[in-house]
Amino acid sequence: MSGTAAIDARAEMLNGARSLATAASPSKARGVTSDLSIDEALLLHAAGWEPVDLVCGVAVVSVPVGVWTWGQGQISSASEAHNAAVKGASDQLKGECMKVHGHGVVGVRVEVEVRTHHIDVELIGTAVRPIDGGDHPASPFVSDLSARDFTLLKGAGWLPVGLAFGACFTYAPRRSAGDAMKQKTQNIELTNFTEAMYTARESAMERMQRSALDVGGQGVIGVKVTEGPMSFARHAVGFTAWGTAVRLVADAHQFVQPDVILPLDDVVVAFDAQSLRGE
Amino acid sequence: MSDSSDELPEAAVRRLDSGGFSSGLTVPDFAACLDLGLQPVGLVQGFCVMRWGWYGAGSGYMRGMNPYSYGSQPTGAYAETYRCPHGYVSAEHRMWGQNLEQTWVEEAWSDGYGSAYTRMLDEAKEAGAHGVIGVVDRVTNLADTGTTEFHFLGTAIKVEDGPPPAGGVPWTTYLAGQRLTKSIEAGFMPVAVVASMASVRVWAYCMTEYLMEGSRGWGGPTSPYEVEQVSKAHMAVRQLARKHVREQLSGDTLHGARVEVVKRELAQGDEVIDCTLRGNRMRRFKDFDVVPPPRPTVRLS
Repeated sequence: MSGTAAIDARAEMLNGARSLATAASPSKARGVTSDLSIDEALLLHAAGWEPVDLVCGVAVVSVPVGVWTWGQGQISSASEAHNAAVKGASDQLKGECMKVHGHGVVGVRVEVEVRTHHIDVELIGTAVRPIDGGDHPASPFVSDLSARDFTLLKGAGWLPVGLAFGACFTYAPRRSAGDAMKQKTQNIELTNFTEAMYTARESAMERMQRSALDVGGQGVIGVKVTEGPMSFARHAVGFTAWGTAVRLVADAHQFVQPDVILPLDDVVVAFDAQSLRGE
Repeated sequence: MSDSSDELPEAAVRRLDSGGFSSGLTVPDFAACLDLGLQPVGLVQGFCVMRWGWYGAGSGYMRGMNPYSYGSQPTGAYAETYRCPHGYVSAEHRMWGQNLEQTWVEEAWSDGYGSAYTRMLDEAKEAGAHGVIGVVDRVTNLADTGTTEFHFLGTAIKVEDGPPPAGGVPWTTYLAGQRLTKSIEAGFMPVAVVASMASVRVWAYCMTEYLMEGSRGWGGPTSPYEVEQVSKAHMAVRQLARKHVREQLSGDTLHGARVEVVKRELAQGDEVIDCTLRGNRMRRFKDFDVVPPPRPTVRLS
């Protein structure tokens, strides 16, 4: 695949088949593992980076007893448990990344489960490093951007520096018995819930932004949020926000000037053998 | 049913010998397959239904009899013991707990998965195939408790003018179509689909029970606290799954890994965590040529 010369795929297939015609000698070399698609692996190579290993981090942190019962204001213990679980999982992930000499982790899948008595956080992604080695960073970055987005971001002069996270849980204050009776037949805003959501949202966003600054980021991109009442305590609302903290490493932002294209082909049907099962 | 191709179902032998071909490929994948010089020869499948063992006295599912032994754990298997910080409290108090790798469950899973895979390869060999592309595997629990079905499906192909693979064992891959073409162009030849399963049983000790069940218990913390035993079990199960897969790689590369974790919470903080890892084992057959930097585009459609 040198330059833009066309590749004879049929000839390459034959070469590949010939390579399997003789049994490989047993090897104890540590093979590379990654959850990247072939497209992502190729893009990463084009940007001068390569995958090293599949890495993960998990933390389960308990929520003290009784914090979800009726109360007022923020449920700080639950927010602290959430942040501790994220930090614990992130530290585990970084530890695994450093062990395999990775410079960072891309495509991190974030799974958070908030339960009555504990909060579980799982992070899993692929550790990557520059092909030419480069200086090993003091702390590897963690990013939930795909390898494609990572390549694009790098091309624009930016780099991810870490995962920014913020969470806040708060009580929706009780309405008085009089208010509840009065509002029963009215179409009316439940200001207690609106205010609780506002409180949770602002605190969570603030925490997320602060965590980005703490890891040396200038901003956060690709922010995802979850919000709503807790399934096991409808009088408590939660708001979580996370994204990738980024920093400009070039002298200035490099403008990516995309070509505008008008595709004339039909939508490509991706391979999906699951359809054989009628799913 | 044995692993021998002599025992393929009669209908399967008749179908594979009929001269026509069947495939699970979509039209674009079929076209890409022909462009690569691959000729589909038949849709091949493999099944296996396994039943797990049992719980009870003497079963491998039981924890060790005391904090210093790990029951029927083989050497090298993951096991950790946690001891109560309180001393004797009552007969119900969990004075010690263990995290145990359930090697017997992992072996049963590998047997079922391996048998279904081998039976699919038997069909492919019967058809004279060099490889199987677009493999789909499914592991489902059947209605009967503790019974699991393993099912493999894929399109057997021949490489035009290509030599048969070493030992006559067809290579396999989850990839097909453009993704397979891109892998080949990049210098990665599929060797086999690989998978592993790791299972860890958490026998909670008092502190884990209090933290997971939300009871204050003896000296239960009143602020957020990492549940060390469960966190470690989760990390261990994922590390074991990766270790098992790595043992099948022999220095090759694993592409497109998929990790699935299933946890079953039992009483008093006990749980079972199963982790499955699948992917394509690929071998580099030429030096990697860097693709030209991609040109960003914006679609108008």
